[in-house]
Formats: sequence, structure tokens, C-alpha cells
Amino acid sequence: MVALEDLKQEAKNVLEGGTVKYIIGYKKPAAGFMAVPAFFHKPEDLDALVWDPTCFHNLVLFLKDEKKRKLGQKEPDERPVGIVVKGCDSRAVNVLLQENYIDRENVYILGVSCGKTGMVDLKKVRKYFMGKIISQIDFNENESFTVTTTEGKVEVPATDIFADRCTECRTASPVIHDVLLGEDSVRTPENPFGSLEEMENKSQEQKWDFWQEQLTKCIRCYACRSICPMCYCDECVVDTINFAVYPDTPAEEKAQKIKWVEKSPTTSENFIYHMVRAIHLAGRCVDCAECERACPVDIPLRFLNKKLEKESKELFDYDVGYDIEIPALISSFRDEDPEDFIR
Amino acid sequence: MRKLNVYQIYAPVKKESHWSYEALDKPESIRLDHLNTIQSPKMIIFPQREVFFEFHNAEGNTPVMKEPASEPSATVIFGVRPCDAVGVTHQDKVFNGDFKDLYYWKRRNQTILVGLACDTPPSPHCFCLSVGGSPHFTAGFDILMTELEDFYYVESFSKKGDTLINLAGDIFSTPKENSKKDKEKAHSDSEKKLKRHIKNLETVPPKLKNMFDSPLWEEESLSCIQCGICTYLCPTCHCFDISDELDSSSPLSGKRVRTWDNCQFPDFTMHSSGHNPRPDRASRLRQRIMHKFNYFVTNYQAYQCTGCGRCIAKCPVGIDIIEVLEKVRDYGK
Repeated sequence: MVALEDLKQEAKNVLEGGTVKYIIGYKKPAAGFMAVPAFFHKPEDLDALVWDPTCFHNLVLFLKDEKKRKLGQKEPDERPVGIVVKGCDSRAVNVLLQENYIDRENVYILGVSCGKTGMVDLKKVRKYFMGKIISQIDFNENESFTVTTTEGKVEVPATDIFADRCTECRTASPVIHDVLLGEDSVRTPENPFGSLEEMENKSQEQKWDFWQEQLTKCIRCYACRSICPMCYCDECVVDTINFAVYPDTPAEEKAQKIKWVEKSPTTSENFIYHMVRAIHLAGRCVDCAECERACPVDIPLRFLNKKLEKESKELFDYDVGYDIEIPALISSFRDEDPEDFIR
Repeated sequence: MRKLNVYQIYAPVKKESHWSYEALDKPESIRLDHLNTIQSPKMIIFPQREVFFEFHNAEGNTPVMKEPASEPSATVIFGVRPCDAVGVTHQDKVFNGDFKDLYYWKRRNQTILVGLACDTPPSPHCFCLSVGGSPHFTAGFDILMTELEDFYYVESFSKKGDTLINLAGDIFSTPKENSKKDKEKAHSDSEKKLKRHIKNLETVPPKLKNMFDSPLWEEESLSCIQCGICTYLCPTCHCFDISDELDSSSPLSGKRVRTWDNCQFPDFTMHSSGHNPRPDRASRLRQRIMHKFNYFVTNYQAYQCTGCGRCIAKCPVGIDIIEVLEKVRDYGK
């Protein structure tokens, strides 16, 4: 189990010593019990740093902002950014390294182990504690969480309020780090793709009905894309911002700007958007499940990405985010790759 | 409800893990213990997608434009929370400016809002009292219901409300002598249950006038991912885009549609020259706050915020508008 004081001390050491320019971590919000992302610029600010089972955000996301910020600076501070990273998040760092989006010396990784448990699922927590006011959720030494409500402390088995992805997790502690807090534990879930079985057993019609209902709900807020550490395209298909227009660009050309997806949140357009996103994450998604957590209308987006993770594994024996030395799945070819789809 | 079968009726329905307004076909699914719905009734009166007209231009012929065949039907939205009704009144102001938005008013004039006073806050982030509302605010309502012991105290504020009550007929009876007092007590009790407040919010709008270039926006927006949740779920945000959606390019045919748009998106203020006057997250967060607590106050003498708390509850990175406003209020102190 990670001792918060140790984490704070490690963070203070590198911030005070000037090893890092700032630290991305978690703090408590103004109201409520859930942690929120926080940026620590001064060592004394680190008193507010927290680590608990509500630190589900994948902070690797903010390395994209850091990269863009640096590109806009004439004389950027070249020191690395300190970042608190869980097991799943660490694989996201690896993918960004593998894709040469960031360099290893850009980041100082404060790895934190989830130990025997992981992150809670807020929907499950709310259901479990219906009507009660929660003030804090903590890790403990067992396979359970300690939840503090106005009525006192209770121990809840992890399996009751666990995030689904944590039940299928193989990396409870970071696979890449500069310093590791907590135990270096390896997990071998019985069936790492178990959550897909129910869906896979459905008929084609049932699957169609399911996704039709789910994706019709989409309001196209793009939170799933915006929270994803892997969605770093300069220009996303849904918002055309880089189409160069000059004083002499003719009106027809402007009018003929390709619209890949209409703005209308109709079922067919929503399908296109979500399919494009899913395909672009094949062999890149590390199953941090932030897309599903961020979705305001509860679309089970993790299914899509998990299925592609499984396909990558079964068809190409490719595991995402473990080895930065191998070429990325979608930019490589091997003689033994199956290519039935071409024939 | 069966007596109201000439109306299309929407009410909050419990989904697996949340509440949402749904068109009802049977009265049994109505429940009035609802928490905040994910979306406000904005989605019914000002839908996210609306077809203005269809066009068709076969070669050699005169182009044909056709308005949608069906007109909006008379609609009752049932169980509306007071904050959401205030949201509708703010939309009314915007769509009733120099230009009267026919498409909006076609729906709005056909809508009856039946409200339910909140006995307990439907969200832990409710702060209606701080923005000029209350758990029993009547603005925007045709009818407001307040739950008392084993009945509802029902008030009508409009002709549309009276019509509805007359239609329902014998389910109503004249209130007992002390009911009015009980109702007032229920109302004042409900105010005490609100957990979140912003003190001295009235000092914020004048202060914002001098904070356009403040570094505060950068600090507060550091974790913003620039998704559309806060504005799309907001009962008062009303920005939209109009575009032509083609079904075929030859012969040219398609639809002109209006869809919601969003000041947090990178292409919202993108000029065709390639210049973007709001190029980053800081300028977009500033716009959200400035619009709600500065420009709107100047234009309509009201905050463009009803304290429903949706933007706080649903923000994936925990940006809290109350906290931001408090920082504005205390900035430089």
C-alpha cells in the first residue's frame, strides 16, 4: 500500500530540488469526496496532494497540453514534468513514448501501485451507499476499501464497488517509473477479457439493437475523445480547425471542405464518430476507461475499446503499452500476420 | 394523465443509473422523487437538432424548399425543477430579442411547464439560492406543485395552467385552511437544506469587467479538457450552429439544420482565415464565466446560471463553477 506521506516526500524532493518544473497529481475538490487533477508548482502546495481510490483520472492526458504549451514557448523550460501514474496510466506513457509523441526525459514518473485493489466505480459506489453522504474512500491492507460516511466507517469488499476495468487489470503497479511507491505487484486475472463474453454471445441483431440504443443517447460532447491521452491528433475529424484558407481561396473550395461527420447527433452520425474513435484506438488503448467514466449519458464505451484490445491480442499477439522497443501495432507488419481480410 | 391525452407529455424517468426526461406513453412510469435529470427540459423546447427545411435542386428545374410537415404538438413537461424553469425563462429572453426566433417560439408557445418544488436538493451541488432562485421559485412555471403530507399543494400561474387543471377536474380539491401555511413552511424548510452557496456573488459581475486579461483563467482552466459537457447540460446555454446536411450532391438535395454549438470546442470561434480569437482553454473558460456572469447580466439583468449544479456534478475533471466564482470574487484581495 502506498503511504501518502512517502508520495508527498518524493514529490517534494524533486520539486524542491528543481528536478521537475511542476507536478501533476491529485487533490480534494472544494466539495465532495472525489479527487480531482491538480498541478503543483510550489513544494508547500504539495500538502494538498492526495492518493486514494477516487484517483481514477488518467493524468497522462495532461502531457499533451504540456507538449503543446512547450511548442508555443520561445525558450521553454526543458526540465521534465513530474506526474503521478498508476499501473494502467503507465502503459499510456509507454504508448506515447513508443509513438515518439513524448521523450522519456520529458517526464519524471512518480509511480503508484494500486496494491490489492484499484479504483472505485462511482456509479457502483452511489448505488451501494444510496442516500448516504460519503466523505472519504481509502485503500486498506485487504482486498477492500474503507468508506467513511456520516454514519461512520465501513469496509466494503473491493469486488462490490470496483471499476470493471480493475477486475481485468494486469498491471496493478506501473510498468515504467522513476520512483515506485507501494508494492511492485503483478496480477494475473483469470479472464482478462471476461467482461466481453456477454456481448460476444449476443446475436448480430441483438448487438445492433444494443449499440443503436446506446449510441443514440450520445450528445456529442466529445468528452470521451477529449479525456483520452491517446487522442492527440492536431485535427480531429469532428472539428475542422486546420483547413488552411487564404485571401485568395475560392468560395467553392471553402464550401467543399470535407465534412467527415455532421454536427447532428443522429444515430448514424454518432455511429461514425464512435467507430472512427474506436478504430483509431486499436492497439493503442490501455483500458484506463476514462472515456466511459467521463460520458455524461453512460454509454458503455469501454466495450468497444476492450474488444479491439482483444482482437489485437488474438490476431497479432500484441499487448498494448508493455514494451516500447517493439513497433506500434498499426504501423508495423510481420510476415506471420494474418491477412485474411485482403484475400 | 389520461385526461391529458391531447398533449405530448414528458416527465423524469429513472434509467439504470440516472434520471432523464422521456416522452411518456403510460402514466405509471411517472415518479416524482427524481434527482437532477442528466439534461434539463432545454432538450425538449430547444432540441439539439432541428430541421429548418429540406431543399432539392434537380438540374434544369427551379430549386424547391420544403418546411417539415409536422408542427410541434402541445406539450406538457411534468415534474420540472425550479432551476430548470428559470433556465427556460433565460432562453426566452435570448430568443425574443431583436430577432424573434420563430422555430423556438413555435415549440415554446405550445409548452406547459408543470413544476415540482424541491423538498430536498436534487443534487449535492445545488446552489439556486445564490443565483437569485430558490427550491420553490415560480418563474417560468404554468403550475407549481409542492408536496405536503399526503397531497400536493398546486398553484397555477397562467391560463395554460388553468386549462390543464380544468381538464384534470376532480383530482383537485380546494385547499384546506392551513395548507397554505404548511406550504410556506415546506418552502422555507427546503431552503435550509441547500448545502452550497456563493457569498456576495453580486460583487462578481462588476469585477469581471476588469478581469479579461487576468492570469486566473489560465490557472483555473489547467485541467479543462474542453469537452462540451458543462455547456450542453446547462439549462441556459443556447449557442447554436446552422449547417446544410447533404443527402445527395447530384441532384443537390439535403436539409438545413440547427444544432447546438459549444464555446468550449476549438472550432467554435475559428475564422475562415485560420485565426482563432479564443485559441486556448483559458480564453474558453473565461468566455463561459464572462457570458454567464458579466455579459448576460449587462444585457438581461440576470445571471445566466440557475444553480442546478450539473456542470459541477458532471465535469470529468472536477472544475467547480462555484469555486471559480469565489476565486474571481476574492481575486487580488
